[in-house]
Amino acid sequence: MVESSSKKMVKTGMLVLAYILLAAVVLCMLVPYIWMLSSSLKLNKDVFTFPMQWIPQQPRWENYVDIWTKIPLGTFIYNTAKLSVIVTVLQLLTSSFAAYAFSKLQFKGKNILFLGYIATIAIPWQAYMVPQFIMMRSLGLNNTHMAIILLQAFSAFGVFLMRQFYQGIPNELCEAARIDGLSEYGIWGKIMLPLSKPALSTLTIFTFVTTWNDFLGPMIYLTKTELKTIQIGLRMFISQYSAEYGLIMAASVISIIPVLIVFLLLQKYFVQGVASSGIKG
Amino acid sequence: MQNEIRIGTDQVHKAGKSRTLKDHLIAYSFIAPNFIGFALFTLVPMIFAFVLAFVKWDGANPMEFTGLHNFIRLAQDTTFHKALWNTVVYTIGVVPLTMACALGLAILLNQKVFGRNTMRTIFFFPYVASLVAVAAVWNFIFSPTMGPVNNILHAITGVPLEELPRWAADKDWAMFTVVLFTVWKNMGYYMVIYLAGLQGVNPELYEAAELDGANAWKRFRNVTIPQLAPTTFFVLMILVINSFKVYDIFINLFAGADNQLNDATRVLVYQIYNTAFRSLDYGYASAMAIVLFLLVLGVTIVQFRGEKKYGQ
Amino acid sequence: MKRNKIIGMALALVLALGTLAGCGGTNGGSANSGGSTPAENNTAGADGNSQAPITLKWALWDWEATAYNQPLIDAYREANPHVTIEYVDLGSTDYMTMLSTQLSGGADLDILTIKDIPGYANLVKQNHLEPLKNFIQEQSIDASKYGGTVEQILVGDELYALPFRSDFWLIYYNKDLFDKAGVTYPTNDMTLEQYDELARKMTSGSGAEKVYGAHYHTWRSAVQLFGILDGKQTILDGKYEFLKPTYERILKQQEDGIVMDYATLKTSSTHYSGVFYNSSVAMMNMGSWFIATQIEKVKSGESQATNWGIVKYPHPEGVEPGTTLGTITSLAVNQKSKNKEQALDFLKFVTGEEGAAVIASTGTIPAIKTDEVINSISSIDGFPADDNSKEALITAKTYLEMPMHEKSADIEVILNEVHDGIMTKNTDIDKGLEDMGKRVQQILNN
Repeated sequence: MVESSSKKMVKTGMLVLAYILLAAVVLCMLVPYIWMLSSSLKLNKDVFTFPMQWIPQQPRWENYVDIWTKIPLGTFIYNTAKLSVIVTVLQLLTSSFAAYAFSKLQFKGKNILFLGYIATIAIPWQAYMVPQFIMMRSLGLNNTHMAIILLQAFSAFGVFLMRQFYQGIPNELCEAARIDGLSEYGIWGKIMLPLSKPALSTLTIFTFVTTWNDFLGPMIYLTKTELKTIQIGLRMFISQYSAEYGLIMAASVISIIPVLIVFLLLQKYFVQGVASSGIKG
Repeated sequence: MQNEIRIGTDQVHKAGKSRTLKDHLIAYSFIAPNFIGFALFTLVPMIFAFVLAFVKWDGANPMEFTGLHNFIRLAQDTTFHKALWNTVVYTIGVVPLTMACALGLAILLNQKVFGRNTMRTIFFFPYVASLVAVAAVWNFIFSPTMGPVNNILHAITGVPLEELPRWAADKDWAMFTVVLFTVWKNMGYYMVIYLAGLQGVNPELYEAAELDGANAWKRFRNVTIPQLAPTTFFVLMILVINSFKVYDIFINLFAGADNQLNDATRVLVYQIYNTAFRSLDYGYASAMAIVLFLLVLGVTIVQFRGEKKYGQ
Repeated sequence: MKRNKIIGMALALVLALGTLAGCGGTNGGSANSGGSTPAENNTAGADGNSQAPITLKWALWDWEATAYNQPLIDAYREANPHVTIEYVDLGSTDYMTMLSTQLSGGADLDILTIKDIPGYANLVKQNHLEPLKNFIQEQSIDASKYGGTVEQILVGDELYALPFRSDFWLIYYNKDLFDKAGVTYPTNDMTLEQYDELARKMTSGSGAEKVYGAHYHTWRSAVQLFGILDGKQTILDGKYEFLKPTYERILKQQEDGIVMDYATLKTSSTHYSGVFYNSSVAMMNMGSWFIATQIEKVKSGESQATNWGIVKYPHPEGVEPGTTLGTITSLAVNQKSKNKEQALDFLKFVTGEEGAAVIASTGTIPAIKTDEVINSISSIDGFPADDNSKEALITAKTYLEMPMHEKSADIEVILNEVHDGIMTKNTDIDKGLEDMGKRVQQILNN
């Protein structure tokens, strides 16, 4: 404890270094957004001009008006939000449910099933999207939001993620609950769910973002304008003979906002999760 | 705490043989909602795609059984080999770098750092943003003669602009550029997973380690790393799989008006997409997908074993 | 095609069983069956001119950005009020892929817009398109009206689509820049050498003030296809040495700073319209579709190149002026359409003279290019007033950017890739062209 002054020096030095590094990285992260914001206020032809113009000489606020009138952006945002919320809720429920079995229960074929589950994540969608489309169509599901929901809501990814977090929760906790007479469903609902808030928040964010940003799925399944989503809307500014980058950037800025809200709302859960809420037992 | 990382068989032994049918049914009932949905809407078409690997099909006309012909073609297809090679190189580049950055950031932002909430959000930003937009920005910034990056490099090093790397436009630098871009775009995502994982680390373990006189590095080595094993396993798996499946990033970064990639940037899924939709050779495309699947399955099994071993 | 349905049914059955087995839970009720209830109210369309209401679904792209779609529908409905036409916008990026996927899935589209030849070849291969030869004979449609384009999309001796738009390549130039430099305007009879010379003369300045003499967009067709204008070569036979002089000339221009660097253009997503609007380029080779856009953007104030003109495409020595590249947009009918007769009738209307008049009135070049049509385009408000610009609309011989071939989709991919390699200087010309030849040969022999 005595010779800590030199140690402290090193520590402060490290800290300063860490901050400088962080600041640099933060800047790198932000540059594209500043550029995005600035281009969202430009005429299309001025977006890609050298040298770069960080502050537009004549900011075109009309871009933010045009995006709502040139395409039905409001409808698109509503559709996307609806899909994202439904998919996320289903994903959370079914994934955490299945993950509990994979992590805390014993049954025949568990390992094989799990291994196969993960491996299917590896198959690129492009490889089976046509058979899937044919199937969905024959069910009469094309041009319905149901199609997108069914495709996105039951992923192996969610199960995998939840299972990994459950692995970190001591089995003793479950055993104790069993001795107390709680059913497996009760353990899942009363012990696992509250303990896995960080994981659930993480999964919420990922599912939400993935659904929000999905392009190819809605592109194939939703050909009616009133059903389309925001990512399709963004590409509507790219037409055969022109690309309205000013508008794309403006719409991108708008489309980020809801996702950021979700992130900010959930952020606190993955910083004060399990550790503080009682894994100590 | 150590046992939880293990999975499966050894615990079965410990628990004894008194497994009743009811226990099994309960377990299956947990899996059913997700699995049935998954099986119907994803697995069935997947299996169908597997079958396609043994036929010739253009997406509309009747199929023609061709046996292993598609796989024999794959063995001789140099374009496919190039795509496979590029994908592997990309994966080797992206995985360790992303893991290191994500873990580093997570540990840093798990401390009481000034403005950490804001920073977490900022690091997560790129992952959220629309790829079309950020790829355009990135390319613009790294543009060979006019972009700020090369102009700054030119000012610092004095190397003439023409001799500086041309990044995305240069076949020797393209892979480096896309790896950098991917790490930048996705590290926030893995950082979040690590942050969530770090919440599961029992603080008492740190206290105990500190009492034992362990320094920061030792605490990291002996407490953080093993405690994060399930998270790391997950991150590693998802990273590897996503890298093998990469498509959008390459298209947005490299493909110009014609939506095409060249020899230096061709990746597996691009090859699959092109084969299926431009050449209407669904069977051949499926054969490629199976190769991809087997590759990932192999990596998964290796890592699965690793996870078990590490846990013991 | 039958097989397809069976597969779908089988998959559906599996699924239905599964749902019974207890997945449940997610029936939102929003499922509104589109294609699964076939042949019910549509039989009315079969007996021709009955006035029962019919709805036709028309697959297209860029609904908002395309000026002629709505007027065409309106004009058609005037004569056929019982027909409703719904559009299905599949987006312009990868439109043909999207269309093929929709059709493979059994989408109930009736009228299909065909964007490019490789995509057309694919749809023909997949048997999605209704053969038109008989229809053309029955209706005594005169194929010669289409200026030779119909012959270029024959498959064997059958035809699956009729062109309604026929764009061709021109030189756009900025008159103000020529005036400022004191150089005489380009003419309707320029050889490639003269074009090169003129471009060099028009290059001036540096930094933000730099004016480039010419501009090549990053598309393959903007550069590579100068090589086929002499009519002696084809890009389908797997031999490409003839492209060498073209690539040498363009790369030299790039090196000398006469044109913008390809790699920079590509990485910065620079669009050809932007550089023309900003008066950074004196001349630019581009398709005739840009006429309408340029007129509109001058009006809106986005294009600062307000004083502009067009001339015919430059040609190799000894070739008739007006020889140029072309690209056609055509209409086809889905073979599985339930309203085939009505769809064919609509196709006949759009690709015929009445349709051509409607299309021309929006500033777009229709496939039937009569004097009347040319007059109608050149008299649009905002079209350059000089005689040369009007005359530039008359073409002599048009070569398709991608000719019809069974393998044209695969060949296109290779041509694009090597073009990119050569233009970014990742491959040298000789090696690139050799590689191009080898890979195309492989496809042709396969």
